Order: sequence, then structure tokens, then C-alpha cells
Amino acid sequence: MSAAVEARPTAEPRPQLRGKPTKERHGFRTFEFALMAPALLVLGLLSLIPFVMLIAMSFSKVKTLGGVSLEFAGLDNWTAVLGDGSVWASWGRSLVYFSSIVILEMALGFVFAVILHNLLRGRSVMLSLVLLPMFLAPVMVGLLGRFMLDSTIGLYAQLMQALGLDTDVFAKTSTALPAVIMIDVWEWTPLVALIMLAGLTSVPPATLEAASVDGAGFLRRLFFIAVPQMMPVILVALLVRSMDAIRYYDIITATTNGGPADSTKIIPIRLYEMAFRFNNQIGRAAVVGLTMLVFSIVLANIFVKVFGEKGAAHVTNVAGDKH
Amino acid sequence: MRRRSNLQKWLVPILAVVVGLWSAVPIAWMLITSLKPQTAIRTSGITLLFAPTLENFSNLFFGGNKVGSFLVNSLVVSLVSTFIAVALGCMAGYGIAHWRSRHSKGLSFWIISTRMAPIAAVIVPLFVMFRTVGLVNTLPGLIIACLSFNLPFAIWLMSAFFQQVPKSIEEAALVDGCNKFRGFWSVALPVSRPGIITTAVLCLVFSWNDYAFSSALGGPNTSTLPMAAGALVTQSGIDWGLLSALGVVVATPMLIAGLAVRRHLVTGLSLGAVTGE
Repeated sequence: MSAAVEARPTAEPRPQLRGKPTKERHGFRTFEFALMAPALLVLGLLSLIPFVMLIAMSFSKVKTLGGVSLEFAGLDNWTAVLGDGSVWASWGRSLVYFSSIVILEMALGFVFAVILHNLLRGRSVMLSLVLLPMFLAPVMVGLLGRFMLDSTIGLYAQLMQALGLDTDVFAKTSTALPAVIMIDVWEWTPLVALIMLAGLTSVPPATLEAASVDGAGFLRRLFFIAVPQMMPVILVALLVRSMDAIRYYDIITATTNGGPADSTKIIPIRLYEMAFRFNNQIGRAAVVGLTMLVFSIVLANIFVKVFGEKGAAHVTNVAGDKH
Repeated sequence: MRRRSNLQKWLVPILAVVVGLWSAVPIAWMLITSLKPQTAIRTSGITLLFAPTLENFSNLFFGGNKVGSFLVNSLVVSLVSTFIAVALGCMAGYGIAHWRSRHSKGLSFWIISTRMAPIAAVIVPLFVMFRTVGLVNTLPGLIIACLSFNLPFAIWLMSAFFQQVPKSIEEAALVDGCNKFRGFWSVALPVSRPGIITTAVLCLVFSWNDYAFSSALGGPNTSTLPMAAGALVTQSGIDWGLLSALGVVVATPMLIAGLAVRRHLVTGLSLGAVTGE
């Protein structure tokens, strides 16, 4: 972390009138900025305009039939959304969905990483195998989940039946949310495992051996020596998964689409419905979109604070620690 | 750690196999199902003995569904958007890695926040914008939509890769009389080739797998493969054989591409925050 503080340019005084200072600050008429300009232009068009429009639409009645038109509607959309109990219920459900996904994936990912790290032979092949799910299209993963859990022909459903468990998981309000959570956990735990494994490999084996000589058992070494050193990596995994858990909703679209009885209707699904399915409540969808945006901006802020600086939290592999 | 205990000899491999199965079984089952004849799929028992057939794949491409043209759409959208994102991302990433300004932190924040913006919140204004300028249900529209998430990703990631280039190499080049452009083009870019390839592969995976944007902004003329999957479901009853075949077609190229860059995967997927295998 000290590298990050050192690289921060804000601490330098501003050389304005001097001819050619050795540590010059860069302005907008430099080669560096010229390289950035095209990308920033495109990104500006694709992010600032939608952002301004989102704000404008949140205060308007939006019509899309026969040409788009906005009609100022004051705070109508805001009061409608904020006073809508079902939207709050969706937020609550999103919170359950979000925290379950993140907690389960972090915990399982850590366990997977520890297992793979201690595997002496065939680690590389096994890791490749474990990573497979995260390359699949989330919508396909949702459909695959439906197939595996189909109450009449699903492979996993039949195993569950053999164990005496309920099978029609997507049709019951009590099991639908856990089912879509588990599908997401299946797809993305490998990513957490991959990041955690990088953290584990970067812990110098010498410190672990020293602890071992001192009589520390496996679990003590893991939790009192490896985990504290892995903290930056654990935080990265947490942030990466958090931001995607909020972004994506493909799995739910492909499985329950919010049902049964709204039990899996998390906030992006609600937003999508408002905008595209039910009598065109685009203005209200814009309000929901803005509230979601606030959440992700806070998250992005944390991300940049912790990892945006040059050289911060770069965990490099110690050469020669591979088995 | 040096002496292998029984625990490490037996328990760890067994657990590793369990972990491997957790990931692999559904994918293997999808592959098996895609090769099954219809009758073997519909029976409720677990059938493993069957005469493998390519019937599902031929139905997929030559049946009533125009999956061939969906495949072309998917290829065009993901390849073109990846190319643009990586080209602009390399330039901007290098710029950001080297731009010393009091604005650079704010700029980084803006870029990463566009990548983190919830898809649902971005789709609505994009839809209205596209509707106004006539980009809904067009391939350029989908390419632009993919850029909205791949461009910030490519900029951010390439800037992380460029920061890993040892300063000494670049300084040596400048001392040898390279100008800034040569420093970028002939020094930093070639050195960062693995990073560029990783960025390209991940952009390709994201745009190829996208469903949310293409289903909201696309249409019958611009269906991509993931949209085809959605379409197969809404028809009365689901033809799992067909769907599994489609799943195999969608997944295989991405599995190969993803595993090809496995060494750099952790850097790419952690947005450059973690390096090393």
C-alpha cells in the first residue's frame, strides 16, 4: 500500500511558469491525452448521454410509440416508485439475493482454492476443469440449471428425489430464490477460487514452514498466517463479485423471470418489467435505475480507493513456489 | 508442509475431484444430452447408454430455426466490438497509465464506474436513444451496446497491463532517441502482447455471452446465439436436445479461448488488481 501513496501525484507542487520541470504535470495537450481522446469521446457518448437522459426521464412521462417524447411530470415517478411497497420488497429480495451470492461464493471459493492449493499433482488440469462454468453465457447457465433441476427429466432433480427432497424447485416460492442463487454460485464460485488461489500462492512458503516448525496446525497456519496476508486479494474478489452480482440478471430471466409470486423478482427484473413489459412505465424505470446507479457508484468508489492507484495491491507470484 | 501427511495424500485429491465434478457434471451432461436421440432425453430415468447422434445439431442448423444466421450475427457483433474496444482501449490505457495530472484519478473513477453501472439501468436510456436515431434492431446498434461495457473494461485492464511494463525498458527507449509514439508503438505494445490477448479474449467472452443488451436492443434481424436460446424456450415446451446442442455451440469457442489465456485470467478478471497465476 505504501507504493500507492508514493505514486500519488497530488502531493507535488504545481509547476506552472517554469520552463521544463523534470517532474512535469500533464495537461490536455499532450501525447498521453491525445491517445485517450478517441476512447473518452466514445465512452462519453455512451455513458454521459444515457446518464443525463436517465435523470431527465425520471422527471418525465416518456412515450416511445410514434417517436420518443418526454413530457415533464415533476416528481410523479419518484413518488410513485418510493411509495410502491412492491418496489421496496424487490429491494429487500435483492439484498437477500446479493448477500447470499456474495457470502456463499466467497466461502466456497476460499475452500476450493485451499483444496486446489494443497493438491500436489494435476493441479493445473483440475483448475482448468473447475474454471469451465464461468465461460458459459449466463443465460445458458440459467437454462442449464432448469434442465438439471427439471422435475421429470433433470439429472440433479432425480438425485434429489432419491434423497427424498422436493423437486419442483422453480415452482415454489420457498425454493425458487435459493435455486437461482445456487445457479449463480455454480457459475461464479470458480472466479473467486481463481483469485483466492493467486492470493494463496503469493504467501511465502517460508513463513508457513516457520509456523509449522513452531507447531502451528494446518488450520492455524491458514487462518492466522495465510489469510491476513491474503486480505487485499480477498477484498478484490469481494468487490469483483459484488459489482457483477448487481449487474447481471440473465440467470433469473432464463429460469423464473421473477416468479413464482414475485419470489425472485429482484430489482433489475422489476426495472426491466417497468421499462419493457408493462404499460411503458419508463419514467419509473429511470428512477429505479438511478437508485441502482447510486449503489454501484459507491462500490466503484471503494474499488478505485483501494485498487485504482498505481501498484496498489499487486500480488505478484513469488518465483519458484510452484509445486 | 514438506512431509506429506496422509491427509494430503488422500483427502485433498478426493476433495479436489469433488470440486471438479461440481463444475464439470452439468457441462458434461449438456454435452451428452446434445448427442442423445430425442427418445433418450424424454425418458425420466438417467440414461447413459444410447446411440450417439448428431440429429440435434442438424435440427439446430437446418431445422426451422435460422441458427446459422444467428451465429453470423454473434460473430459479427462480438468480433467487431472486441476489435474496437481493444484498439481504443490500448491507446487510452497507455495514456492513462502515463498521464500525470490531477484529473487522472477522477478519470479512472469515471471509467470504472461506467463498467460497473447496472446493466438494467443502462439499457433503458440506451433503448430510448437508439429508438431516436434508429439503431434498435441493427447490428451497429448491438456493437455500440457491447462497447458500452467492453470499452471501459479494455481501457482499465490495458492500463493495468501497461503499468506492469518495467519503467526501465521505456526509459531506455527514450534515451535511445525514441519519441513518445515509438515508445508506445514499438516498446510498450509488443511487451504487453499477453495482456492485449487476454483483454481481447475477455471482451470477446463478454460480448459473445451477452443476453441482456441484445434481447432489449436487438430484434428478429439481429438475433444472436444467446437470444436464440431464449427464443427456443418460449415456444410451447422446451426441446432440451436442441437447447443442449445450442449450448454446446455457444460454449465451446469461449471455453477454448478462455482456457488459452488461463495464465493471465486472474489479472483480467480482477480488473488488473491481482497478478500472477
